[in-house]
Amino acid sequence: MTSGEKVSIAIPTGVLHGGALSLLARSRLARLNADEIGRQLLVERGGLRVILVRPSDVPAYVDHGAADLGIVGKDILWETPGSHYELIDLRFGGCKLVLAVPDGSSLDGPETWPPMIRVATKYPRTATAWFEAHGQSVEVVQLHGSVELAPQVGLVDGIVDLTATGRTLRDNRLRIAAVLGSSTARLIANQASLKTRTAAVQSVVAKMREASASAG
Amino acid sequence: MPGFRDLLPLEAEILREAQESLLGEMRRWGYRHVITPLVENMDVLDLGLGVEQRRRLFKFTDGRGDVVALVGERTIPVARLVAGKLRTAALPLRLCYAGPVLSTDEGRFQQRRETYQVGAELVGASGPVADAEVIALAARCMEATGIRRYQIDVGHAEFFHGIMDAVKLPDDVKAAVRAALAARDFVALEALLEDTPLKSAEHELLLRFPALRGGPEILDAAGGLVRNRRSEAALSELAQVCDLLVAHGIREVVNLDLGAIRDFDYYTGVIFEGYGPDFGRPVAQGGRYDALLARFGRPAPATGFMVQLDLVSEMLTRAARPPALPRLDAALAWNGAGLNTALRLGSTLRLFGMRAVVDTQSRGEVEARAWWRAVGATNLVHCLGETKVAWSAKGQRTRRLPPEQVAARLAGGVK
Repeated sequence: MTSGEKVSIAIPTGVLHGGALSLLARSRLARLNADEIGRQLLVERGGLRVILVRPSDVPAYVDHGAADLGIVGKDILWETPGSHYELIDLRFGGCKLVLAVPDGSSLDGPETWPPMIRVATKYPRTATAWFEAHGQSVEVVQLHGSVELAPQVGLVDGIVDLTATGRTLRDNRLRIAAVLGSSTARLIANQASLKTRTAAVQSVVAKMREASASAG
Repeated sequence: MPGFRDLLPLEAEILREAQESLLGEMRRWGYRHVITPLVENMDVLDLGLGVEQRRRLFKFTDGRGDVVALVGERTIPVARLVAGKLRTAALPLRLCYAGPVLSTDEGRFQQRRETYQVGAELVGASGPVADAEVIALAARCMEATGIRRYQIDVGHAEFFHGIMDAVKLPDDVKAAVRAALAARDFVALEALLEDTPLKSAEHELLLRFPALRGGPEILDAAGGLVRNRRSEAALSELAQVCDLLVAHGIREVVNLDLGAIRDFDYYTGVIFEGYGPDFGRPVAQGGRYDALLARFGRPAPATGFMVQLDLVSEMLTRAARPPALPRLDAALAWNGAGLNTALRLGSTLRLFGMRAVVDTQSRGEVEARAWWRAVGATNLVHCLGETKVAWSAKGQRTRRLPPEQVAARLAGGVK
């Protein structure tokens, strides 16, 4: 639980980590180096408490009120909707969620899809919703890693996965058949923090809004 | 079974005490207690629930082939009661309830699928006086449980409806705006509103939704921005409620929150939420729902709220000073001929409202002291015969007295 007037923010490890630290510095909220927070996981600086957690854990920390704010990729929010407020598009960590198929596949746009398409993904909820919205029956195979392998061994017709540069897809002889959505880093807030500690939380939000707008 | 759990004595007692405090406060305001079944016919629940809520119900068919469900909230059963068995009772009716509610959704508070709610409904009264009564009752209820530092956020569903009427947007975009707000997704909301050519003051208000909070001064600020009757009427109603809350003596714990996001299909007027200290979600929720009773065939305005009992007890358990629970006053041990004395002494002490437990086996002095520690009572009375007992209290030396003197002293020590 958070307490007092110190505002806590959960930031993710992984690809958004550097961008999150840089944003905190540009917002003049906290200057932290990656080693320091990587070692301690929880650092207090000025009026801010910074917590380092796994990317997919950020919404849980915020929804349960263990952090007032969180920086998290939109791709994570697609899969774990919660009771938090999504406040700002922080405009870094851009990537796309795509349907990728083997280079030699005949699959392309919706008109080429079989009556039941089978895809492997780490994003079952988003993938299912997207295909259903396109009137397409889908069988989703949920995998936890190396999704790119699945079509090559005939497990599935294609994969739904995140790509920033497209390099991993090319390395695995996959091409993009459709884009399901674009993701960037987002600032999310606990619903109660916005109400019970409005001034302190809003002041941090305002600084981050300004810093992210001037960078974009 | 995931989502279901046992409450062990300490937790169960805290929860039970909190429930009694809440129901006690409601009764002090003239709310009568009703008990509705845990199971309701789906036809009944369908009248009041949205698609999502319906999906989350535990449903099954009973022996007669009717589809029934375990209740997911308890306002709808109360509405059924008011329009049914209580249809001849004069309005307004003040009713309160307490009981478990169930949900198949594991994403709720700590993955619990069974939680406890205590609520109050004021049916048959419209207007600020009724709204203020229910808000003040909610505040006093939170206070009654012993939660220190709480606040109530008050908003108005019509303020939102007025804005949505006034913004000039195609219907499909309006639907997307509603969906984005329901998901509290302000990034999507901003994108939707940016793409529209017609910018009005209402656009600005929507974008600033989460920040539309504060004291009575925000009513004037918002009044300067809205240009539609519905929102203006909502603001003037909120101003009246605010004045009444001053007289109720709870103005300091009330904030206005014009950007409160709630189930706007259900709520029709003043809405509110109660927050405790340092807790990531509202403990109490309520508001005006004037459309519900008509669906049961007895049109009537109504307002009410419910308190999430699990959250209250969680909050009390984690508080710096957890609530003082009544403890066992006396452990009555006995040795040989002392059993009858122990049983009589137990009856006497309980008559005076004390908590007393009588041992089930004969024990010597050392074993009796060990048993005393194990049951955690304030006093040990070791009954050694018809007329002779040894009384020990924590931090005092043991005294040998006749049993009636021990009873008198123990009873005299409590109020």
